[in-house]
Amino acid sequence: MHRSLITPLTTPLFRRAVLTCALAATAVTSIPATAAASKTLTVYTYDAFAADWGPAPGIEKAFEKVCDCDLQFVAADSSIGALRKIQLEGDQTKADVILGLDTNIAEAARETGLFAEHGADTAALTLPTGEWSDSTFLPFDYSYFSFVYNKENVPTPPTSFATLNELPNDFKIVIQDPRSSTPGLGLLLWIQAAYGEQADSIWKQLAPKIVTVTKGWSDAYGLFLKDEADMVLSYTTSPAYHEIAEQDTRFAAAPFDEGHYLQIEVAAIVKSSTNQELAKQFMQFMLSDTVQDIIPTTNWVYPATSTEKGLPEGFTSLHVPEKTLLIDGIEVEKSRAQWIDQWVETLGN
Amino acid sequence: MLKLDSVQFQYSVDSERYDFSMHIDAGTIACVSGRSGSGKSTLLDLIAGFLIPTKGALYWADQNFTSLAPDERPVTTVFQNNNLFEHRNAIDNVVVGINPKIPKHGKDVERAKEALEAVELSDYAHTRVSQLSGGQQQRVAIARAILRQSRVILLDEPFSALDQQTRHSMLALVRHLATEQQRAILMVTHDLRDCEAIADSHYVIETGQLHLKKQISRRPG
Amino acid sequence: MPGLIIACLLLTLAVVLFFQLAAHPTASTLSVGPRIIKTIGWTTLQASLSTILSLAIGLTLCWALSHRKQFAGRSLYIALLSSALVLPTIVVILGIVSLLGRSGWVNDALEHLNLPTHEPIIFGLAGIVIAHCYFNASYVARTLLSRFESIPTEQVKLTRSLGLNAWQRFKMIELPAVSSTIPTLAITIFLLCFTSFSIVLILGGSPKFNTLEVSIYEAIKLDFNLGRALGLALTQLAICATLVVIGARFGKDNKLIATANVKPQPWSDSLFVSLLQAAIIALFGLAFALPLVAVLIDGIAADYRAILTDPYFQRATITSLLIATLSTLLVLLISTLLAISFATLATEQRLGKHNTSRFVLRLLSFSSTLYLAVPSLVLGLGFFLLARTIGGDHTVWALVALLTSNVLMVLPFAIGTLAPAMIKAANRYDKLAFSLGIKKWARWRLIESHLLRPELTYVASLAFCMSLGDLGIIALFGNQDFVTLPWLLYQKMGSYRTDEAAGIALVMLCITLTVFLLLPMINSRRDADHHAKT
Repeated sequence: MHRSLITPLTTPLFRRAVLTCALAATAVTSIPATAAASKTLTVYTYDAFAADWGPAPGIEKAFEKVCDCDLQFVAADSSIGALRKIQLEGDQTKADVILGLDTNIAEAARETGLFAEHGADTAALTLPTGEWSDSTFLPFDYSYFSFVYNKENVPTPPTSFATLNELPNDFKIVIQDPRSSTPGLGLLLWIQAAYGEQADSIWKQLAPKIVTVTKGWSDAYGLFLKDEADMVLSYTTSPAYHEIAEQDTRFAAAPFDEGHYLQIEVAAIVKSSTNQELAKQFMQFMLSDTVQDIIPTTNWVYPATSTEKGLPEGFTSLHVPEKTLLIDGIEVEKSRAQWIDQWVETLGN
Repeated sequence: MLKLDSVQFQYSVDSERYDFSMHIDAGTIACVSGRSGSGKSTLLDLIAGFLIPTKGALYWADQNFTSLAPDERPVTTVFQNNNLFEHRNAIDNVVVGINPKIPKHGKDVERAKEALEAVELSDYAHTRVSQLSGGQQQRVAIARAILRQSRVILLDEPFSALDQQTRHSMLALVRHLATEQQRAILMVTHDLRDCEAIADSHYVIETGQLHLKKQISRRPG
Repeated sequence: MPGLIIACLLLTLAVVLFFQLAAHPTASTLSVGPRIIKTIGWTTLQASLSTILSLAIGLTLCWALSHRKQFAGRSLYIALLSSALVLPTIVVILGIVSLLGRSGWVNDALEHLNLPTHEPIIFGLAGIVIAHCYFNASYVARTLLSRFESIPTEQVKLTRSLGLNAWQRFKMIELPAVSSTIPTLAITIFLLCFTSFSIVLILGGSPKFNTLEVSIYEAIKLDFNLGRALGLALTQLAICATLVVIGARFGKDNKLIATANVKPQPWSDSLFVSLLQAAIIALFGLAFALPLVAVLIDGIAADYRAILTDPYFQRATITSLLIATLSTLLVLLISTLLAISFATLATEQRLGKHNTSRFVLRLLSFSSTLYLAVPSLVLGLGFFLLARTIGGDHTVWALVALLTSNVLMVLPFAIGTLAPAMIKAANRYDKLAFSLGIKKWARWRLIESHLLRPELTYVASLAFCMSLGDLGIIALFGNQDFVTLPWLLYQKMGSYRTDEAAGIALVMLCITLTVFLLLPMINSRRDADHHAKT
């Protein structure tokens, strides 16, 4: 079966319910079942990662070759959504691994006590932050948050939050909700890191330009591509997608003078998982050249290691921020709730 | 004999109190008249069992039926309208009087046919009642009352919507029911001519009570 | 009385599910969050605007329709108006976005004509109010039309002979004819807008315009703050219950029973008024149809081979149809039993029997409206937590939760439709049935099953379509094992697979319109047959 996202309706009770409706029953059973595998590893992640065009199908194919298991990706509408789902499901969660949180939300996830040690060898990591010491959360890619625009529609893009705020209010941007989406949280921290006490006044000026706040990255990017906004909060690496996959060079990331906030995406093993060994095998596999080579052209971000093959063409020409911003995860967690409340308050007025 | 022994009723504490006493012999017709709102419908509802009296009792042949449900009483009502299930045919509407399952064949249906014959509607047995004339519809309702063998038949202004000629034949039919089948018939009407035509006794409701106004002696037949 | 038992059971269920939330360890601190006052303020503003505009537009349209009795496609027009209640919200939103988005049809047209394009308005207050009006104005027009048409011919003749103009006639006889319905209608619409979920979730744009229902969703799904979710839920329940009580005070109107349809009057209004009426009908028709046409045109281009062969889509379709069917059966059963209790009590009250029945009757009508106020997300979460306590399969629980919320969603409308018809049937046949001893099943077969057929058909199609199209608590429960069509559509919209989303939307639109327009048509044909014979 091409997409392992599809789990057949095999639960006995549900099937019994379904059988009551003869029509439905024949149709349901006619869906081919996934080939029986010894074990199933379930990974919760965000929608774009699990999508047909995301990294999931490639990773799945590669991992299933070596693991004698069935790897299943379950898509939530955002990575924080995936975390909440595990919290909500508690002990009954089917998740073995969560994939796609970032360092900003990792502390909050750690505090839930739901995650176990990843046990992977992190020597190969080549992150801009240097060595990695977290034994629970394992990084697998990174990029820098940035606003992406279409050069034809926006001939002179803003070069900082200050110049963005000076633009007339019919210049529209679309952003993500910091409560549900890691880019959304990233923007909050980006402005916080760059402006500290003044962050709130930046948001106040930004508010009238926000066409809408979406729950996840893909909604926002989709709106931008439908021309509902002039700029979208995304990554410095996003234009590579248009250049490589679509041979479209109209898109660019706007370099900001304040510097760009770094996002390191991480994975973790769910403590209640009964597939700990398999999960650990998967975590190590995430750092293999196989996966790391899949990531740039499917998730459109930088790989967490330098692979033999190196970065694809198109990535090398991207603007790399001169100044990197990052707030320590523990610091973030201390103030996150307060900053978010302030953000909701500012946007809600 | 139908007997009402000081049957009392009050809709609410501050409304008029009714206190009804009367008797109707088998084979006779009593006629009740009164102004609108005087309590004619209340009287019928009390006898038919749609209202429960606060005091007093109702008897048929010295048997107290005050606490019986409407369908268990020896009473059948022919209403002014809404007597029939309009989406059904005449025979169904008659047979439902003795068998709610409405059979299509069998003894009950045969008996229903006889009842229809008695009201001269045999030809219309399988006609949808909504297609019958007003007089025919009331005759279907009477056929059902005949079939039910109830000793008491209550007629609630049954002929008020009918033309003069139909009305006369209906009155004759009612008289026939009383005399030939020995039923006690109570007819509520605002038309005194109906009373004059067939009733044996004539009551008027005033200030919540029944007053016997006139006893009319008739030659049997 | 089974109806009463069910009413009590439903309320008990709600209490049990609320309790589940309260008992959860993370819910130990009941709170409403810092924004509660602002949320209520904005939501009140939004709901008031939506209600006033819906009533104004709906009343205007209804006035125009009641005077233009003969134009081609009038009955289809009215049928489409009725369908507004059941059109899948998310499908209509998709249509409105295609129409009014920054690069939507309207702006394209304006640009073509070299006119200034409009600002993006679909996200935020304007978008929410537009979407609410779309659904509710049609509902208002449809509901009031029967009131307009039941104005006695004599009164119309009288105003005509007195030479009153259109406005005077409206003031003298038409407004009074509908005025008793308007408060109840207004409160229903206000409640619907106050507790609105999908529209605000998708078109809200920022936390600013969150309704309590969306705040509950966010408290659960974004913050995982169950204490706050519960606090917000109780707040919503309190506000809505108050409104329902106020509504019940206005709702003493016992003339619910529709009178027979009046034959069309062949008088024509003055040319100006006639043109005005035609313009109103055309304009509203256009506004109503365009989003649907947008869905149609966007959808036709979709790659149906890919959509139809997608096992996801197939499963979502089967699940949705199954849920809609089960919900329909449940709604029919429960609403019928409730309506029977309703009719019995109303009759008893009329006959002056039990004094208590008046009280129970109030309670019954109160509880059926109250379902509008119970936040379905909280019910959903309650089920979720119950599932964790009791165990068992997630999918089964999701099914149960979805069925429950569907039933609660449709019940107020179902009872609103069935109860008056039941009372009408009871008024007509109760004495006869009592005196003949026709009871229970025999009675149902002989009387209600026949007399109520149009209402039952309507309720069935209402239940089916509403259950098919509702996003509601599936937003909380949706996962790979359990997908419904609206959920799939929401996901496709979220990941901007525009093409597939348009295709799915069109499929949903087709199913809904087919069921909603065809079912009553089959029925009315049978009905017409019946009348032709009389």
